[in-house]
Amino acid sequence: MTNSRPSSPRTAPVAVEVRAAEKVFANGVRALDPIDLVVREGEFATIIGPSGCGKSTLLRLIAGLTQPTGGSARLSPEAQSAGFAFVFQSPTLMPWTNVATNVRLPLDLAGIARTAAKRKVQHALELVGLQNFAHLYPRELSGGMQMRASIARALVTGTRLLLMDEPFGALDEITRNRLDRDLSELCAREKLTVLFVTHSIYEAVCLSSRVLVMSARPGRILMEVVIDEPQPRREAFRTTEKFARLSTGLSGMLATAMHGAPA
Amino acid sequence: MSDGKWLQIGAPIAVGIVFILVWHVLVVVNEVPPYIVPSPFLVMKTLAQDWGLLSGSLLVTLQVTGAALALAVVLGVALSILFVQSRLIEASLLPYAVILQVTPLVAIAPLIIIWVEDPRTALVICAAVASIFPVIANTTIGLRSVDTGLLDLFRMYGASRMQTLIRLRIPSAAPYFFAGLRVAAALALIGAVVAEFVAGTGGTQSGLAYQILQAGLQLNIPRLFAALILITLTGIALFLLVTALARISLRRWHESELPQER
Repeated sequence: MTNSRPSSPRTAPVAVEVRAAEKVFANGVRALDPIDLVVREGEFATIIGPSGCGKSTLLRLIAGLTQPTGGSARLSPEAQSAGFAFVFQSPTLMPWTNVATNVRLPLDLAGIARTAAKRKVQHALELVGLQNFAHLYPRELSGGMQMRASIARALVTGTRLLLMDEPFGALDEITRNRLDRDLSELCAREKLTVLFVTHSIYEAVCLSSRVLVMSARPGRILMEVVIDEPQPRREAFRTTEKFARLSTGLSGMLATAMHGAPA
Repeated sequence: MSDGKWLQIGAPIAVGIVFILVWHVLVVVNEVPPYIVPSPFLVMKTLAQDWGLLSGSLLVTLQVTGAALALAVVLGVALSILFVQSRLIEASLLPYAVILQVTPLVAIAPLIIIWVEDPRTALVICAAVASIFPVIANTTIGLRSVDTGLLDLFRMYGASRMQTLIRLRIPSAAPYFFAGLRVAAALALIGAVVAEFVAGTGGTQSGLAYQILQAGLQLNIPRLFAALILITLTGIALFLLVTALARISLRRWHESELPQER
């Protein structure tokens, strides 16, 4: 196997470490069986699994939005100090204010001065291609552009670690492909570490350097597939035989993940 | 102006004109004496003739209503913010706000008028009591109706309670607040009128309700109608003012104020 991602060898520093983390909700529902997961710097790791399998719960554990009932889920001290950003399935923008103010929010909450913040906001908007839409309100943007604004807000603090919970799940396919491609370029260029959750096999193969397949609830990581293909992904990758083979393979694993019943 | 707008403005005006004409014709044809029902034109004439007296009273009613509404908004919003800080505070105080709401104003107004020495202040308090509940109820719901994703986001970025209140809860509550304000404005006017009926304060400091009371006693029905019309116009003006305020504040983002696509 050729090492196609010299920027993220399997020995790169750990960014996220989950050790035997499990989650049982207060109502007794077992969301996650003990899970182990390591994400290394520069990786684009994707979790894929049937809906309700606990993918989002796992991401929320890592983000500290909910506490594990056993084990631990944490960021490395370096990742912790540099901060991380969470991108939700919906754009989660404040509807009462414009794109620039929405993107500036993390800086405002940290008490960063306006002039310094303005430059960072401009840079973040440029990264996602929204530099000319700063003054518009979320309602005035398309779904794809709202998602771009959400990603700009995530990047504005200069964080290197993104946790993304089905960020493009609600978009139409054309917009989604476009955003997938742009995200792939952005991550390669900015050397971001991403933990991505999706239920799209296609998206997982397109974007990831590693795909983790989760079982139906209670979630466990069943399998791991390394996608050995240079980043950012070129457009032609989607039409290669390799892409088709990986997709078919993942599709079969997902079927197994759903208790062996092909969907 | 679009056809729709003409319809919205033109249709009610047409109904009003027809109503006034029918009223006039019925009064004239049936020879109804003015101390039972005056013709609309006599009412207009009286309004002009008694303008000196009535405008003074209008000003008093406006002042009482305005002060009461301002008091209700300031106190109501402050209480709502207090309520969302802790469930304990809300659980302890909300029942009393409800009691205040369900007890008829006419029943408590005499007490307030006895307790508060200055009659004008007493009227303001009565009208504020009448109008505070919709402000509290709506604003409290609004402050709680925050997008959970945004709340998570604020938590992840370590926002303080104050930051979350000012940057997230208060803007989220704005549409609810304005819905409450619309009801509160109408109630403040009703409160001001009812309280004055109960208080019956006279002299130069009297509002429109007192003019109605006096005109009724003197069988000066045209003046009674004129005062009534002024109260109605005040109500309409208040409604339009609050509606305009809501539109200015929300039009860029909230569904309730966005132009309809046809």
